[in-house]
Amino acid sequence: MIAAVCIDDNSGMLFNHRRQSQDRILREDLLREAAGGPLWVNAYSAKQFREPPDGLRVSPDFLDEAGPGELCFVEDQDLSPWAEKLEKLIVYRWNRTYPADTWFSLPLEGWRLERTAEFAGSSHEKITKEVYVR
Amino acid sequence: MKRWRKGLLALLLVCSLLLAGCEVITEPGGSTGGGDDYTITWSLDDIPEYTGDAYVALNGNQPEFSEGDITTSSFEFYSPLDALGRCGSCIASVGIDLMPTEDRGSISSVHPTGWVQNQYDFVDGKSLYNRCHLIGFQLTGENANEQNLITGTRYLNVVGMLPFENMVADYVKETENHVMYRVTPIYDGGDLVARGVQMEGWSVEDDGEGVCFNVYCYNVQPGVEIDYATGDNWAAQSDAGTTGQEVTYILNTSSKKFHLPGCSGAENMKPENRQEYTGTREMLIQQGYAPCGQCKP
Repeated sequence: MIAAVCIDDNSGMLFNHRRQSQDRILREDLLREAAGGPLWVNAYSAKQFREPPDGLRVSPDFLDEAGPGELCFVEDQDLSPWAEKLEKLIVYRWNRTYPADTWFSLPLEGWRLERTAEFAGSSHEKITKEVYVR
Repeated sequence: MKRWRKGLLALLLVCSLLLAGCEVITEPGGSTGGGDDYTITWSLDDIPEYTGDAYVALNGNQPEFSEGDITTSSFEFYSPLDALGRCGSCIASVGIDLMPTEDRGSISSVHPTGWVQNQYDFVDGKSLYNRCHLIGFQLTGENANEQNLITGTRYLNVVGMLPFENMVADYVKETENHVMYRVTPIYDGGDLVARGVQMEGWSVEDDGEGVCFNVYCYNVQPGVEIDYATGDNWAAQSDAGTTGQEVTYILNTSSKKFHLPGCSGAENMKPENRQEYTGTREMLIQQGYAPCGQCKP
């Protein structure tokens, strides 16, 4: 399973049960990362996709259901219980600071940075993508 | 056209508030200054002392806009200054049409109440005070509007308020929805400098699903003591380095947060922002750093 998360400069993910930010270009990048395979999300994240793309799989148990090599977009869940199942991790950095009360808590220690890329989002000057592998 | 519409909407807003029977807050322990009719439902006595978090939630993070406030028509309203020359509550329905299309202009001509500027080596940019926009420039494009600028610390401006402005700005740009947004400076009696600001946000078209907050941001600067009555300020006395326990922390030189070494916020930090530090907690705070809200070092 591959997981993708979005974090701010303080590793924040949510404030008051709501995502810190969103970006249309980032969603397009996510679909490219899925490489034609399924993109697993829960109902909260599915609302980001106004016109659900082919391959979008929506389930409350998506982290259990995703198979090897399949991409999960995780916005409002702690990944720690699925840490052993993770083959790869994609971290999108907003390069901004937002309010936060829920943080990305999976330590990146022990992961190897495989590749990194920067791109301009639809409402973010620079989004940094980091891809980690075991 | 834009200004004419703003003026009309502001007039309608004031009329609706008057008809609704709202009154200007004058209760001891917290006043909003200005001439706006917004009444806060809490007092400064309800706010916990600052202990390292730049903001605390109010009312369970639920904003307190009245139904009459909420609209999908963009508008902005800035309270007139009060008898002491202080700003009051500002409210807007932030839409993409209000957002600036040009770079920010100079605001140095405005001298908000309590503007006693001093420089400190440990403050980001050195100057203690910023002319703090109540409604941020990135939301409504207001430049040197004296009804929208207060004396606020660098910490209030960047660590307290800016994250909320960023969240609202991004949401509006992405969705082209509106966000009801109100910022209210909170003064203690006749103080010239606000103790903090209340910030409220509510996304209109999706009934708060995208944006929903109600927080109090502290107008403090770690390492500096402020006389809020006048704005005078001085470096805090500290016995750091003599009695404090030396501990190893991980600093984020960009966000000015410090973490315990095992905190995921420290481990996931960008390498260029990461710095290891061994010393006292008090000394770090005096240098302008604030503790991480997650690991609470």
